[in-house]
Amino acid sequence: MINRTLYTFITEQKHHAWRRPSVPSRAAEYADAGMTPAQRMSARFCEMAAEEAKNPHILPGQKIVLMRTLPNGPDVLTPGEWEEIRKDHFIHESGYISNICPDHISLVKTGFKAARENADPLSAACLDAMSALCASYREEALRTGRVDVAEVLAKVPEYPAETFREALQFFRIVHYGLWLEGDYHNTVGRFDVYMMPWLRHDLDAGILTMTEAEELLEDFFLSFNIDSDMYTGIQQGDNGQSMMLGGRLPDGTNVWNELTEMCLKTSGELKLIDPKINLRVSKDTPLSVYEKGTELTKVGLGFPQYSNDDVVIPALVKLGYDPEDAANYTVAACWEFIIPKVGMEIANIGALSYPLCVDRAVRALEDSADLQDLKIAVAREIRTEAAAIMDKVHDVWFVPSPFLNLLYGGRNIADGAKYNNFGIHGTGISCGADSLAALEKYVFTEKRWTLSQVVAAMDNNFEGEDEMCAALRYEAPKCGRDDLADRYLVYLTEAFSCALAGRKNDRGGIWRAGTGSAMFYLWHAAALPASPDGRRKDEPFAANYSVSIFAKIENPVSVIRSLTKPDLAKVCNGGPLTLEFHDKIFAGEDAITKVASLVQYFIRSGGHQLQLNAVNRDRLLDAQANPEKYRQLIVRIWGWSAYFCELDKEFQDHVIRRQEDVI
Amino acid sequence: MTTGIVFDIKGFALHDGPGIRTTVFLKGCPLRCLWCHNPEGLSPFPQLSVKQTACRHCGKCTVPCSHPDCQPFGRCLHICPSGCISVAGTAYTAEALAEKLYADRDVFAMSGGGVTFSGGEPLLQADFVCAVSGLLHREEIHTAMETCGYASPNVFRRTAEQMDFVIMDIKLADPVLHKQYTGADNGVILENFRWLASCGKPYEIRTPLIPGITDTEENLAAIRNIIGDSKWEKLPYNTLAGAKYGNFGMEYTLEK
Ligand code: SF4
Ligand code: SF4
Repeated sequence: MINRTLYTFITEQKHHAWRRPSVPSRAAEYADAGMTPAQRMSARFCEMAAEEAKNPHILPGQKIVLMRTLPNGPDVLTPGEWEEIRKDHFIHESGYISNICPDHISLVKTGFKAARENADPLSAACLDAMSALCASYREEALRTGRVDVAEVLAKVPEYPAETFREALQFFRIVHYGLWLEGDYHNTVGRFDVYMMPWLRHDLDAGILTMTEAEELLEDFFLSFNIDSDMYTGIQQGDNGQSMMLGGRLPDGTNVWNELTEMCLKTSGELKLIDPKINLRVSKDTPLSVYEKGTELTKVGLGFPQYSNDDVVIPALVKLGYDPEDAANYTVAACWEFIIPKVGMEIANIGALSYPLCVDRAVRALEDSADLQDLKIAVAREIRTEAAAIMDKVHDVWFVPSPFLNLLYGGRNIADGAKYNNFGIHGTGISCGADSLAALEKYVFTEKRWTLSQVVAAMDNNFEGEDEMCAALRYEAPKCGRDDLADRYLVYLTEAFSCALAGRKNDRGGIWRAGTGSAMFYLWHAAALPASPDGRRKDEPFAANYSVSIFAKIENPVSVIRSLTKPDLAKVCNGGPLTLEFHDKIFAGEDAITKVASLVQYFIRSGGHQLQLNAVNRDRLLDAQANPEKYRQLIVRIWGWSAYFCELDKEFQDHVIRRQEDVI
Repeated sequence: MTTGIVFDIKGFALHDGPGIRTTVFLKGCPLRCLWCHNPEGLSPFPQLSVKQTACRHCGKCTVPCSHPDCQPFGRCLHICPSGCISVAGTAYTAEALAEKLYADRDVFAMSGGGVTFSGGEPLLQADFVCAVSGLLHREEIHTAMETCGYASPNVFRRTAEQMDFVIMDIKLADPVLHKQYTGADNGVILENFRWLASCGKPYEIRTPLIPGITDTEENLAAIRNIIGDSKWEKLPYNTLAGAKYGNFGMEYTLEK
């Protein structure tokens, strides 16, 4: 039973009334005092925690407490200092640590008291500040008659958690500490693995019923959504609170427990964007698991996202990860595969544009070239571009995070960890593969046009070349339906993977090729003229790992068959195939089972990562306002499908109105 | 060699029989239901489609061209900058179609699905449908047909016998109303139904719920009376049913 009062309090953002301006910027002061970056981080942490301690708020009926009233703290370095640092170092994003999966549970198991003994002074100061903050919450609990909360806070965070509730509360305190410190994209990791012992303890001891456990978990899930609008990200929701469920353990057994099921259920009931649910599956996963996942997809949140252990674990081992670490993989903020506790990886440090490499290759060739020359040129351009991306990254530097360090046994995680690998996205793969397929067909096989004619038409954005454009764009072989084009998917992924193989970064790690695109696909597309697949200038590529936006391939079975042809273990940095469905398809007898079978088909075909979207009304309204973002949005209505953006407004309104009836 | 005319092939069909299916839409239908949402399924011949919602009336397709496949239509099929022009109606040999359908066999096997012949009316191309179904059976692919039931009992039985599953429409129980709204009497449909109900083949009856026409209490009660406890699915009226008519230069006559 959801605590509706708390739920509405949070979703209606009533707690925002307590928000205040953040602490003042002290970067210049710090600089004058000659403080190190680590000292500054510790000082800022303590100052912010002390401020928060003055304003504890326990929301109505809330069991898992702690909320922020201050937005993120100001930069600890002055712009001048950053400029100096940038001269010698590669700075990833904002320069603060992000997108890793720390070991929250190490602290939950030891308690602050014991942790303090081994902590260096800067980290110990953070612990003291957090303790004081929690003490103020305890006093607030006593003051307002919340004895239950006070009781929990009497034990945690000073002492190890013993009960499920204490463990959840402790996790919340640690997670809160990370955000307060300014670490971002703080992921959650394999929650049903590490949290299950406490639930088991309580159930076995008979001190908690499943219903009570569910209520606690709901409260805990809500806690991810209290402050999340303040978290750093490209847009709200892009905050990295990814939770991984299920999957293989290092001993070869599979996780699927009461907590796994409870998380899926709670996520579906709360219908909130955090935490983001990921499911690890494999060829042995029973259909019932996919059915439960599909029930959640039907809710329309865009998750769970599936990762395939059969592909990912061996891929990571091949990349050099120890088998037991590989078996413990989770996802970073979006989808990159990272290792909890032992990784300081930068899974999104750059992006390679496949269409750019194809463009350069085509322009480098004479008309007398043959297909083999083209393929060789493309591989060469990929190698050159990948090398350029890698060469730009040297002497990576991060602002140290003394609180976060506590979750890595005190080591300065900014300097690296056991794994220091860097990941590179690959954008526009279908545009690249379709371009090569079109060139093979029209230039090399049929000899309908020469290479220079195609290049000239591209430079003119196909002005006056309607027939060529129509042929390249609509009639040429396309990934997702034609083997000829699919073969270039294989070729391009192999070339990318080879271009990174054997290279080391200067932190001693390796480079990983991926199938994600993040925002890069828009930037890369904007920087390129028209392409040989008939894409006009200023048209985007398809996002992540997917088929062309104008190929109009409406059969997801065909898309899956094509996109699982490459050996995805070779491009296993992460990046899902995304399939969008009208939520109408989830209606009707057996529909959940049928969609679940499709997911199973993807996994058994060797797919690495999959994300399904049930399209809901808000999405369609957004699509109406921004059709360019939703070109591929399929609405399947009764016996036929349509591209939503191609329907008349009147009809779009019809579909939207019908959405209101959908459960 | 048997050939047939197909106007669409849709993969991942979830509502046309058991499991995940591929539905083959065969061109040509003997009925003319006022509410028909597949106008391109009516005529047995290939038809030009110009997507009205995307056409910018630039006129490029009307400039005479020399492509042989464009000649019957008087418009160029290979020039539209917006990809608006296509032809509904592709000829396939049974072998070529079966070959194409094999592609999704893994997912059929995994989900207990298969291929469904729909239309239009598959029974207008019964020989072709039987030939393709036979080829699919050879590869152990489950087959079904979705029919309006308006065909000679001989053709109906022969084809239904080839299928693993039959989905049959009974739209209106009253012969006069049936004639009025679909253009044909339902006598032979009901006769075919009676045979289907007694032949032991798994089947399902469908009725589209057209407001004021088929969704009346009277009609639904009468259909229930005819079909007894047969599995019966009532499909809500598709308010977008008329959307495709303009693309084929046709007019949608059913008032909303
Ligand atoms: S039977 Fe089906 S295809 Fe034929 S006219 Fe009626 S609705 Fe259209
Ligand atoms: S070429 Fe395309 S957009 Fe132009 S008139 Fe013909 S159908 Fe319309």
